[in-house]
Amino acid sequence: MNKMSPSRPARDADAMDRAAGLNPRGAIFAARAGRPEFVDGAEACRVAVLSPQDDLGLSLPLRQAIARRAALSSGNPRLIAGYPAPDDAALSALAEGDTPTTPREAALARHTDLIAHEPGRSTAQDLEQLQEAGLSVAQVIAVSELLAYVCFEVRVAHGLALLEDAS
Amino acid sequence: MSALPRIRVKPLTWTPHLAPVEIDDATPAQLAAMQVTPSAKKISPYVRTLAHDPESYVARTTLFNAIMYVEGGLPRQDRELGALSASLLNGCRYCANVHARQHAKLSGASEVIAAIWTGQMEKLDDRDAAIIDLAESLTCTPPVAETAQIARLKAAGMNEVEIIDLIHAIAIFGWANRLMHTLGHS
Repeated sequence: MNKMSPSRPARDADAMDRAAGLNPRGAIFAARAGRPEFVDGAEACRVAVLSPQDDLGLSLPLRQAIARRAALSSGNPRLIAGYPAPDDAALSALAEGDTPTTPREAALARHTDLIAHEPGRSTAQDLEQLQEAGLSVAQVIAVSELLAYVCFEVRVAHGLALLEDAS
Repeated sequence: MSALPRIRVKPLTWTPHLAPVEIDDATPAQLAAMQVTPSAKKISPYVRTLAHDPESYVARTTLFNAIMYVEGGLPRQDRELGALSASLLNGCRYCANVHARQHAKLSGASEVIAAIWTGQMEKLDDRDAAIIDLAESLTCTPPVAETAQIARLKAAGMNEVEIIDLIHAIAIFGWANRLMHTLGHS
């Protein structure tokens, strides 16, 4: 049974609440607060993969474009909206699921689609292609964490949205 | 129906595709992320590979540990079953191996692992079958889980807080598998 909804939300809505479409006055929004480690931890991860203090040479707009492309795999418009469409034309194709014309963005687009849809088919060659497109080892790691974070977010948001529907 | 065989899952070794950080070359941020101390210099290749990006390493590890080990809520063996199911579907052999062994250790029995390994899913109880059902439907791309999967877990006795724990255990392996499987081999 659900508890009485609080008259005022106990915390501000974050990216995960918005991606899941949680009502800030609803039972699932309140239940999330029962696991502050998950709420704070997921938000700290979002910052660490999108806007870290040391960006390792991968700009915020580039990271947002990669994240948006990975988010397209969710089919969840609320989650996709959490990653703004870039102004930059070169990044736009990457972000919107098209085929970029610049080599680095083309390699990132290919890798993003592979990791989002078929991670089990990834091989050492896929990492070599990123390096051939100019990414350093540290940048390959940072991109891997960013892509995998979005895939985590997609699944938490989907599950929380189901709980909201079922409550 | 055939009897479930006794299964003992042997550990695997993971080797990175990319050169890991060498402790002697590590930056202060990388050393702090890896928690290298004078008495703890032996750090796994996996940790040293991810330490190339120390900020994401620290944030993810903190979240991962909370999801898998936080007290209360969903029993740990159920979190391990969610992790195992996600890993199998994501094709991460190494994670599936580790979390199959963790499940057997925490549950004190290997029947569930034997049923999964031999494809005899009809031998699972309702609760385990419902956990695997949610894990598989949440792990695929795009996720196809529906409220029916939530209802099935509730019918098996799981409350909302426990289901939130399970969703996170499944989802964090949508992350971990995409590192372990893609950045190395076992």
